[in-house]
Amino acid sequence: MIRYLAAASIAALTVSACSSAGSTIPSGSGTSSNSPLTIGMSLPLTGPVADVSKSGYQGYQLWASQVNAAGGLLGRQVKLDVLDDGFDPSQTAADYTRLISRDRVSLLLGTLSSLLNAPASAIAARQGMLYVEPSGGAASLFSRGFTNLFFAQPGTTTSEPDQFVQWITSLPASQRPATAAYVTQDDPSASPAVTVFKTRLEALGIKTVYDQVYGPSTTNFDTIAAAIARAQPQLVIQGAVADDGAQFVRSLEKLNFSPKILFQTNAPADAAYPSGIGARNTEGVFTAEAWSPQANYPGNAAFVAAYTTRFGSAPTEDAANSYTAGQVLAAAVAAVGRIDQQALAAWLHTHTVNTIVGPLRWDAAGDPVGSLLLAQWQNGRLQIVAPKSAATTATVVNPKPGWAR
Amino acid sequence: MLELAQTLVFGVLAGSVYALMATGLTLTFGVMKIVNMAQGAFLILSAYLCYGLWSRFGIDPLLGGLIVTVPLAVLGVVLYQLIIQRVQRIDPGLTIVATFALALIAEACIALVAGPNPTAATPRYFNQAFRLGSLVIPRAQLYAGLLAIGVTVALQLIIRRTWLGHGITAASENPEGARLVGVEPARVGAWIFAIATASTAFGGAALSVLYQFTPDSQDVWIGLTLSVVILGGLGSILGAFAAGLLLGVAEAVTSTYISVRWAAAVPTLLILVVLLIRPQGLFTLATRQDVGT
Repeated sequence: MIRYLAAASIAALTVSACSSAGSTIPSGSGTSSNSPLTIGMSLPLTGPVADVSKSGYQGYQLWASQVNAAGGLLGRQVKLDVLDDGFDPSQTAADYTRLISRDRVSLLLGTLSSLLNAPASAIAARQGMLYVEPSGGAASLFSRGFTNLFFAQPGTTTSEPDQFVQWITSLPASQRPATAAYVTQDDPSASPAVTVFKTRLEALGIKTVYDQVYGPSTTNFDTIAAAIARAQPQLVIQGAVADDGAQFVRSLEKLNFSPKILFQTNAPADAAYPSGIGARNTEGVFTAEAWSPQANYPGNAAFVAAYTTRFGSAPTEDAANSYTAGQVLAAAVAAVGRIDQQALAAWLHTHTVNTIVGPLRWDAAGDPVGSLLLAQWQNGRLQIVAPKSAATTATVVNPKPGWAR
Repeated sequence: MLELAQTLVFGVLAGSVYALMATGLTLTFGVMKIVNMAQGAFLILSAYLCYGLWSRFGIDPLLGGLIVTVPLAVLGVVLYQLIIQRVQRIDPGLTIVATFALALIAEACIALVAGPNPTAATPRYFNQAFRLGSLVIPRAQLYAGLLAIGVTVALQLIIRRTWLGHGITAASENPEGARLVGVEPARVGAWIFAIATASTAFGGAALSVLYQFTPDSQDVWIGLTLSVVILGGLGSILGAFAAGLLLGVAEAVTSTYISVRWAAAVPTLLILVVLLIRPQGLFTLATRQDVGT
């Protein structure tokens, strides 16, 4: 019996080890003026977030192909050196070490999620390499004193509440929610964002009636939903990371508890979200987004068209973020005129870069000076409702309609 | 009081589904001493098949489980004859490695066909509930719970009331003795594997309605089903059902009265306690280990 249990445990442990083993997609390096300019990155192309990382990778591919079509960077063709980390932070660290020390890439680009960008950016900082990341907005990443780290989104996750809280503040007192429930996954980006939500909304006089943190492996949200239904909050904020967003809503639906206002991080932007909760039940759900395909920023419409033509589907936010990271890197290289990691970082600290997510500039820690967009599901589409400069609709659905049956 | 009653209802319903998912593993682990690491992959495969029947042909995913039992049983027999039986002859312990390899292969194949995005069947009742006063009973979970009871009773009848069941019992308790009375353990093994994988189809059916799933969701469920089997006692179908209920209720009570975060630790804590107090599992009688070997 013990033998079987031990063997089962070993096998279970091996699952995670094998699933995170790194593998190489094309590799290359070069330092001469005629050789390609190699840009290294490690992405979770397999594993639990393989679905979103695919579009992130495609964003990078599109950016590289467009740069090459326009003559390359510093007259050299760009070549991507991409490793697969299987969504394992240890493998990510090993991959970036390999990219720098063995593959000797000229430049780096970041990976997906705070979980992976944390070790990757630390390796880059240790090696004195510029590190522009397309995601990884946890506030903790920008409190480590790194001067070479730049986040290629309009704001970090702690800026997620900005536009939403402004909107709540703009409501007449009679329409503001009186009570709120907070539930979040124990995650480096979701938890801090929900903490900021709670602090700011309590400052507005909105009483907290429920506050819980759940682990990443939580699959059953029925007891959480039941406790929230008993507390009857008018506003529910969920720090969702992936499919936990849809699972939570499904539990609320089963109890037929529909809060007047529902805000979820990340999950509502997932392609599988509408099918997971029933397409009609998306109506009125808020989320924060870094990018919108409709936003009227220079190059955005062309990016959407080129991506759709090349890959046969509309770009996701991850694709846009990767493309943006490429734009930031290219702008710095073009302006500095040479591959000098310190000079590139110094330039980015003092300049604004126009990208498809809008103009980006950074503080000394690489934290973008701005905030994310407030989006809401309306008639089957995610619309930007704030700020006004990026809004795709003047309407805000409030209160959220009850669940469709 | 209402809070406790609601918590118990959620716990019992969730637990019955855990038991349903673990029935196949109970049979292979308890009777054949095979830790089938591919059980989670079979579950996910069943969930995708039930989802496919629902999305393409409009067949209710829970009823679709009945249809999916056929290909799953065939798959079980084929895998047993081609791989498990041969590996068992070399070293019974190697079956863990073989089934683990099968799980990885199955996950990759499912991902190739279905893609990596989360999937869930949403039949008309997926977000509806019955109400008993203030008590909420989610319809999908109630149906899945009834399915779990039905499958448990059916399996119990097969084991207790049929010649096949008697053969399975004989082969598991004393293979040499079974052979002497004309029961060939290898043939019985194929039957057990077929029944185990077929019963997994119902677990997958419940999974497809109650949870979102991806090809790699098996990692979540293999741990949970192993916990149910160990708690219930090897080979005890009724034990697995009771253990599933215990696990579901313990998780629900922990979530409601202690912390949601502690709920994830409940299976491990329960196993530790049971192994300390009743190492043979909650519902298995301690037997001499030298009799059948």
